[in-house]
Formats: sequence, C-alpha cells, structure tokens
Amino acid sequence: MEWHYNMNRNKRISLIVKVLFWAGLIIFFSWAFTNGMFQPIFENTGTFFNLLGEHMLLVLISGSLAIFTAIPAGIFLTRPQFQKAEFFAVNLANLGQTIPSLAILALAMGFIGIGMEAALVALFAYSVLPVLQNTIAGINSVDEDTKDAARGMGLTNMQILWRIELPNAAYSIIAGVRTALVMNIGTAALAYLIGGGGFGVWIFSGIELFDNAYLISGAVPVSMLAIAVDYLFRGMQLILVPKGLRLARQAVS
Amino acid sequence: MIQFNDVSKVYNGSVKAVDNVSFNVEDGEFVILVGPSGCGKTTLLRMVNQLEEITEGEIILNNQSVKELNKIEMRRKIGYVIQSNGLFPNMTIEKNVMIVPDLLGWDRKKRQDRFNHLMELIGLHPDEFRKRYPHELSGGQQQRIGVARALAADPPVMLMDEPFGALDPIIRNRLQEEFLQIQKEVKKTILFVSHDIDEAVKMGDKIALLRDGEIMQYNRPEEILNHPKNEFVSKFVGQDRVLKSTSLYSVKDLDNEVGLSPYDKSAHIKAVQEDTSLRIILSMLLNQEADQLVIEDGNGNRKGSLTLEHVEKFLQAKVGENADGVALQHE
Repeated sequence: MEWHYNMNRNKRISLIVKVLFWAGLIIFFSWAFTNGMFQPIFENTGTFFNLLGEHMLLVLISGSLAIFTAIPAGIFLTRPQFQKAEFFAVNLANLGQTIPSLAILALAMGFIGIGMEAALVALFAYSVLPVLQNTIAGINSVDEDTKDAARGMGLTNMQILWRIELPNAAYSIIAGVRTALVMNIGTAALAYLIGGGGFGVWIFSGIELFDNAYLISGAVPVSMLAIAVDYLFRGMQLILVPKGLRLARQAVS
Repeated sequence: MIQFNDVSKVYNGSVKAVDNVSFNVEDGEFVILVGPSGCGKTTLLRMVNQLEEITEGEIILNNQSVKELNKIEMRRKIGYVIQSNGLFPNMTIEKNVMIVPDLLGWDRKKRQDRFNHLMELIGLHPDEFRKRYPHELSGGQQQRIGVARALAADPPVMLMDEPFGALDPIIRNRLQEEFLQIQKEVKKTILFVSHDIDEAVKMGDKIALLRDGEIMQYNRPEEILNHPKNEFVSKFVGQDRVLKSTSLYSVKDLDNEVGLSPYDKSAHIKAVQEDTSLRIILSMLLNQEADQLVIEDGNGNRKGSLTLEHVEKFLQAKVGENADGVALQHE
C-alpha cells in the first residue's frame, strides 16, 4: 500500500510539473508573439534558414562522427584483452566531461584557428565522451551469468556481442547518444564565438545589441531543436531496445 | 562416455583447484559432483566444455580429447545449465530455447516442432510461453526453460551447475522429480554439480564426492551412504546416513534380501505397494499407523507382512556387506 501511495504521489507531482511547464510555455509564446519577438524570423527568413542549416550541419557532422567512433571504441574497450585500456578510457572520459564546453571550444580554436572546422572538432570531442561512457557501462552491465551461459552453449564472441551484449546495452547506448546530441545542440550555439556559425550568431548579436527579438529568435529554435532530437531518440529507444528489455524495465519501475 | 584422466587445474601457478582427478562417466549415466564450496566441483565441470582450461591431464569425450575439439562446435553438442538460468532477457522464450538449433541452422519447421516437444517435456504450454520474455516467468519456470534450452539440440551430454540451487525447497523438489522423469525419457550422460548430499542421493546414479580438488569417493549413492570410505565422506553425508539410504531401497529390495513374513489376517492391516521406498515404510511403522504393513505387488496380490525388525535386519545387512571386501573401520 505504501508503494502504491508513493506511486500515486509521484504521478501527481509529475502531472503538476507538466501542467506548470506547458502553462509557462504558452504564456511565454503569447508574450513573445504579441511583442513581435519572432520578427527576425519572418523578416529575414533566408538568414534564418541559413543559420538553421549551419547549426544542424555542425550537430550532424560532429554528432555522427562522435557516434561512429565512440560506439566501436566502447565495444573494443570492453573486450577482455583491453581491460587495462578500458580503465584508462573510462577515467579519461570522466575527466573530459568536467571540462567546460567553452574551454574545449577555446582549445580547438587555439590549435585549428577560427572557423567551422574548429567548432566541429570541439563539438566532436565533447560528444564522444557520453556515448563512449554509456557504451562501456551498457556492455559491462550485461549479466556475467548470461554471457557465461551463451559461451557454454557455443556462441562465438561475435555472436555474444551481437545477440547478447549489444541488444542488452542498447538502452544505455541510445541514452548516451541522446545526451550527447542534446548537449551538442546547446554547445553548437557557442560555435559563433570561434566563427563557427549557427544560431549563436543571432543569440550573441541579440545579447550585444540588447535586442531581445534577435536573442529569442536564436535561442528558441535551438531549444526546440534539442527537444525534437530528444524525442526522436526516445522514439528510437522504443524501436531499437528489444521488447523484452523494455517490458522488464517497465515492470521494475 | 566422459573420461577424466589425471585431470588437474592450477590457478596462478600455485593454487590447485582440481588435483589429479580420474574417473569415468558411462553413457546414459547421471553423475553428481558433490562437495563443500571451493572443492573444485564447478571447475571440474567447466573443464569439460572448456570454459576452464585443463592445466594437466586429459578429458576424453567419446574417444577424443576435448583439447583437440573445436571449442564452439563441441559446446553446441553439450547441454549446459547454470544456477542462475542465464536466460537472455532480450529474447522471447522460443528464441531462448531454440538458440543452439538456430546456430546450427535448423529450418523453421524443425525448430518449431522441437520447441513444442521440449515445452511439453518440461510441462509448460508451448503457445502460452512462446512469445513471452524471461522476466515474466517465475523462478521455477525460468529454470525449466533453462533445462529445455540445454536439451534443444538433443545433445548426448549435459553439464548442469547447481541447476536447482537457487529455488525454494518445494519448487526444487518438484523440479528434481520432473527432471528425473525427463532423464528416464531422454537418457543423457549427465554431469551435475550440487552442494546438497540429499539432492545427490536422490538424483544420481553415482556420486563423486570432492574435497580440495580431490575425489574422496566415487560410487553409487547407497555405497557412499552405507560404506563411506573415510571420515570426511562420513561427516559430509551426515550422521543420519542410514536413514538417508532408506530412500534408495524399496520393499522389493528388502524382500529379496531378508524376505517377508506371513501376515495375520485378524490383525489391523495396512496395505502397501512393493515399490514403496523404505523411508516411507519406516515412517509408517514408526507412526504406528497399523499393526502390520501388508505388501502388495502390482496386481494386488498380498506377498507378506513387514515389521520394524525386517527393516533393521535389512539395513544391517546392507551396511554390513562390503562391496570392496575390505574391513570397515567403525568411527
């Protein structure tokens, strides 16, 4: 009964938070529209789409490079023969995530100079870490006995990886990708500071010129992009995480 | 047949987990490896399918040393069941059970038929469980699935590492009974690890009792109970070993050894089948459920009666007789 009571209470709290969130959002948007805060988008539609294109390109290139290097790297590092390297990599990844995003951008600019390349390198470096971390954690969380049973029944290492380890780690890996991309979208707004383009152009212009319209016309699309990607990957989790694991997760929570 | 020839396992160059073990498991024989934890029984089992490397000696499987066999291929021909069932949470029950046939490339029809057959064998409804997932099943059901999975490709040899160890006593008992029935049908060569002497006595054709990586005694359960070879064996099987041994004999065995007495028609009679275990007989006699226990054969013919004295005489004969012809020391 205690448990039921708590669940109901948690549900109620989350409902209240949701209602407050949407109410705040509606108030914000009606304020923004009546005060012409989105004027730049309607007046400079061409520039808007340019910035959107640049922003998405930054995220897409750096993000996909990060995903396609971090997941294989995570798989390699969890093979038994690389156990020592794994320890090193996990600690490096933990350390790396404590470095502020701005510092990484500054570092990239220091080495590569001003422009989109420097921004891409910085965003890549920043996105690799959560994906790598979650891939390693996901694969390591697969039950030893399950793997032992698989080995004992004659599955090859490759079959154990594809049929057991990756499906069971899928939830964690996709969660890592989600985190990485959402962070990447936000950080890409800083790319403007090292000449990387994107919505940062409007956001920082708005800040410098005390022009709320430009600030909001840059910041709101960035937020919406992040939310959209977050939901997209929640959807991916539904598709890519095996049904049995999803059901088990629901049963536990 | 599985032959262990002077098999040793040494960890880190010094720790001997298995020490010069030799014994044979005949085809269709159910052998229990039993002993306290750390005695090397699991290591010994895992060396058969090469999950552990053999440091010294040889394990011969059907006239071939396992070291020479391809690890992957040989494992697919050996059923493997572990304590925590090791079911794959991402796969349905059908996929779990059919994993080895799938790897071996069986076609769909053959796989489906096999799945239905196996599920019936373990007493679960095939269609009810086909699409379900491991976490939706009870512990007993999961372990049954683990057994079905090991039997899937009909391997001649089964390795079972405390398969019923994590279940509660009632379910464990039921699964033991069920598995004995299954074994009667499938007649596999089984190596089974247990830490429970009662389970070993109940299940095994033979018991290998291990301590510190060495075999203390390898024999039929009644021999181990009635003629423990040394003090360790006698302590491990327990002081009630004679009582334990009563579950291994039936009234028929008693009749063959010491004979029954004629029965008195006027007395209060309780009829008992001749295949009843002596353990139950003993309990009935001690309960004083009737003046006489009258034994009936399968056709209901009364063969004679039985008292505590008979049981005593029979057990004395069993404990007294010595298969090896060596005088027993009384401890």
